Amino acid sequence: MSWSPQILARARARVLGADGTGAADPAPPGLAAVADGPRAWLLPSWPDGATPALLEQYEVAPMPLDRAGQARRVLAAALRCCWTALDDAPWPGEPAPVAAVLAVYAGMTRGDAALAGRWATGELRRLADTGWLLLDEAAGTVRPGPRTALWREESLGPLRDLLRRMPGPGAAAP
Amino acid sequence: MSSESVPSLDDALAGEAVLGVYRQMFAALARDSGAVVDDPVLVDVAETLLAAFADAGEDGLSREQMRYVCRRYPAEVFENRLRVLRGLGAVREVFPKPNQLRYRASFTSVVGLMFVRRMMLDGGQSEMHRLLALERLNVADPRMTAAQARAGAEGLARAFRLWSVELVTLTNGTIEELRAQAPKLWGAEDILAGAERLHGAILSRWPELDRACTELRAALYAYGDASRRAAARLSDSAGLTRNLTLLPPETWRTFARTASRDELAAVLDGFVFDAPAPWHEPAAVVAAVADAPRAVPARPAPPRAALPDGGLADRADAGSAEADRLRDVAERVLRGRDRAPVEALLDGDWAAARRLLADLSAAHLRPELPYRLVWSDGLAARPDAAPAWLSSGVFERVDA
Repeated sequence: MSWSPQILARARARVLGADGTGAADPAPPGLAAVADGPRAWLLPSWPDGATPALLEQYEVAPMPLDRAGQARRVLAAALRCCWTALDDAPWPGEPAPVAAVLAVYAGMTRGDAALAGRWATGELRRLADTGWLLLDEAAGTVRPGPRTALWREESLGPLRDLLRRMPGPGAAAP
Repeated sequence: MSSESVPSLDDALAGEAVLGVYRQMFAALARDSGAVVDDPVLVDVAETLLAAFADAGEDGLSREQMRYVCRRYPAEVFENRLRVLRGLGAVREVFPKPNQLRYRASFTSVVGLMFVRRMMLDGGQSEMHRLLALERLNVADPRMTAAQARAGAEGLARAFRLWSVELVTLTNGTIEELRAQAPKLWGAEDILAGAERLHGAILSRWPELDRACTELRAALYAYGDASRRAAARLSDSAGLTRNLTLLPPETWRTFARTASRDELAAVLDGFVFDAPAPWHEPAAVVAAVADAPRAVPARPAPPRAALPDGGLADRADAGSAEADRLRDVAERVLRGRDRAPVEALLDGDWAAARRLLADLSAAHLRPELPYRLVWSDGLAARPDAAPAWLSSGVFERVDA
């Protein structure tokens, strides 16, 4: 009995997790392999190239997300530090120290900076859990996650403008 | 008060003694001489004082010592408590004479406070257990009289009636209230069994008390019904909650062992496993940053053109890039000549030719560039060529 390589690849992805695939292995159907050096991340690919943002046009509620605004602001702060070459794609980006991301986030918000740092740390972990960021807590660095590779190139323009405008970690908050 | 029983001094004395016991018992709970405390701290003050009196022994405490013991509490709170406790007889002078300095505490108040604390802890249910156990001991006691047994049975019947009324009210009320009061339902079977045994003991020893026993039996059945209904309502709704403290652990374990596969699966209804990760669209990220609460109030930006803006010129020749490009185009078109016919230049693909025509017009319109387009009157119609008609003209260099 022979198995198609795609079925084997899906079985391997289920067993080894999303990051256990080599870059050369075939991607199972329905999953997109995002190359990261010798490895590859397997992420669900959207049918017809549509993203879940399409749900909004159909007025269907997306997956509920607690404090979506805060999570996205933290993601923006992380991208400000990691996505240095703004003309390229955000993936794979460069590792940046978590402290710099927290500084950027603290500059974006008002109120207690220590409290903002704690909130942002929680959001960084949640974003890392869902593959939007790769968080290395031992080294204290963060870099964009493989999910950012699924962003379509056309949709990146406003984000690039935003990141150009955003003050960096060096700029102290007034 | 009827006229034939004029209260004598003895009656008044007996009534005063009973009232004294009541007052001492609940002195710790009294806010002033007429009402119950409205702050639990006040009870703590009384408890601290009574504990200090117990340590002090037969000498009692002076006022300064009492104040020292209660130094954690504000002075006016302490004064208020001391006045009330003295007024109700929980704390009294060692010798009843004026300007007495040393005080002693009443034993009844301590017992009353212990009882109150126990009631606070488990809401009277274990008190019911104790009462039942005590009553059973009393019934077995040979000195017990029928009248005492009747009084005990009637008291228990009254307590069970009130208990079942409370349970019925809870069962018909909101489920949250029922959950909060759920500990009152636990161990109902034990209490019922104990009460049944007591009832049997009374009935077998004093068969003439059958009326009181009937009352007790009815109250017991009412309580059993109310308790079962409340428990049923609770376990119905417990299926929808994950608050595991609602039922005793053994009940959950029994459920886990005896439930069918469907019932077990129904517990996790509404949970999504392997949920898709949230999606952050770049536009949503931008919107979230724009909506962020700001450190300073947002100032309205000055109006800007919708076109992309090169920003401020920081080089002197910043605006000349376009002119350089147009000069480049013009020189490529002229190829060293001074003038070139437009028909010849625009011959070919219209998509490319129209861009060239736009560039040549731009060069013509820029006063700093030495080129111009001169149109003449001729018009060539060419049905087969790409620009189907062409007016004749010349692109030429202007000698400045």
